[in-house]
Amino acid sequence: MAVIVHPGRHTQLSLDEVTQIYLRRKRFWDDGATIVPLNLPSQVTLRARFSRLVLNQTEARLADYWNRQYFYGILPPATLASTEAVRRYVASDPNAIGYVPASEVDGSVRVILQLE
Amino acid sequence: MSTAGSQSDTKYDRPSLVLRVALFVQLLVVIVSPAVWANPVNQPPPSIASAEPETFGLATPLGRLSYQVGRGLRVGNTGLVLGGFTTAEAERLEGGKRSGGLDQVNFLAFIDPVPYLHLFTELELGDLAILESGQEGVRSGGKLEVKRLYLDFGMSDALNIRFGKFLTPIGRWNVVRIEPLLWTTSDPVIVDQVFDKTVTGAMVHGLVFPPGGALSYSLYGTFLNPFDVPSDEHPAKRNAGARLEWADLRGWTVGASYFASELQKGKWHHLGGTDLLWQPHARVEVSGEAVFGKGSLEDGTLWGLYAQTVVETVRTLYLVGRYERFDPSGERPVNLFDLGLAWVPVPYLRLKADYLIADHLGEFSEPGLRISLSLLF
Repeated sequence: MAVIVHPGRHTQLSLDEVTQIYLRRKRFWDDGATIVPLNLPSQVTLRARFSRLVLNQTEARLADYWNRQYFYGILPPATLASTEAVRRYVASDPNAIGYVPASEVDGSVRVILQLE
Repeated sequence: MSTAGSQSDTKYDRPSLVLRVALFVQLLVVIVSPAVWANPVNQPPPSIASAEPETFGLATPLGRLSYQVGRGLRVGNTGLVLGGFTTAEAERLEGGKRSGGLDQVNFLAFIDPVPYLHLFTELELGDLAILESGQEGVRSGGKLEVKRLYLDFGMSDALNIRFGKFLTPIGRWNVVRIEPLLWTTSDPVIVDQVFDKTVTGAMVHGLVFPPGGALSYSLYGTFLNPFDVPSDEHPAKRNAGARLEWADLRGWTVGASYFASELQKGKWHHLGGTDLLWQPHARVEVSGEAVFGKGSLEDGTLWGLYAQTVVETVRTLYLVGRYERFDPSGERPVNLFDLGLAWVPVPYLRLKADYLIADHLGEFSEPGLRISLSLLF
């Protein structure tokens, strides 16, 4: 699995930082732009793997976490229908970040983190 | 020269005025444009269809009205989200009091008109339909209260400024004290009886990210008269506080809070507290808080603590146990045990039943059985 950003974004991110982005705690890139994290639908296997590797929480715990955030008006990352949609979006938006299978990465996006 | 100059000025002023009006109209159009008010975080480009799960949806001129239970109604491309929560409760206390009904419905509304602004409000419609032993008929007041109303402005993760009425950031419980998010039907005494639940003023808050977690801080104070306070609450005229919290990515969070309140002119009360959340296992959660000092609601030194454990026994059914001790100044300390079950069949619905045991009956203890059903909508 590869965590991808727009090719014009040269920031390096650690696994911890990706976690904070997907928990909507870290909201800004270093240049001050708002980060747009993208997720996959909950039934997609890759999302479950991402949640386990990056967020390190069960779906029930995550649901509880997002309930608490909702109480403050913070919603989970936007969800796109497929990994292709995520790749296309990231290629078009310099502020977006997403994850796709490593085999689907092409020149339209830049890999900032590889997850096994 | 002066006449010519005057004519020249007049000639110059006319297009300037027209230009100003045109710019104003243009600005107005831009401001009311859905594209500007749209929340970019939740807006995929048009070529990519959103896969957000919908409970129902409807195409409108404003864009798609999309409702997801537990996550609210997204009003088209405006970025506005409307939601809320409600709770039905029943209790049978050891003193003989029985009551039940639909106590309140709370509505949430929030919007990020531009990436650096977050507007949020919570309105509570209370006393909807309550039945109480010893009273005839259904009591229904229907009073409306602004529970929270604030504007968050932030250009970075580390520095944000909040103005308005917000929950006092002391400990863990007070900042999420709503039934659909809590494991028991009753609040610990140290959360309910010691400090003001809300602050009307300003708060500077932020997050930094050392390896392994997030360190958050908040500094806040009242500089406005307490806003829309219920008649049974008497908040301090002025208060100030600070909180520091470390949220570790391995499943534990620890925090420390300080709160000062001026009950009478020149007489400040100081309260300190610490809190912990530990999730050692996917099915186990341990949390607790302790406070010491002089609260804003009682005179005299006090201390208290609670410790709570939640264990998922079988899937979606949780066993909950809480011990608390409260030692108010000049009164007999009370020890409370709360034991119960919580069933969470879906993340937005929570059915709870618990029994509160007290070592004696007193002002701070109302032992008995309580049941609640709460919904996040």
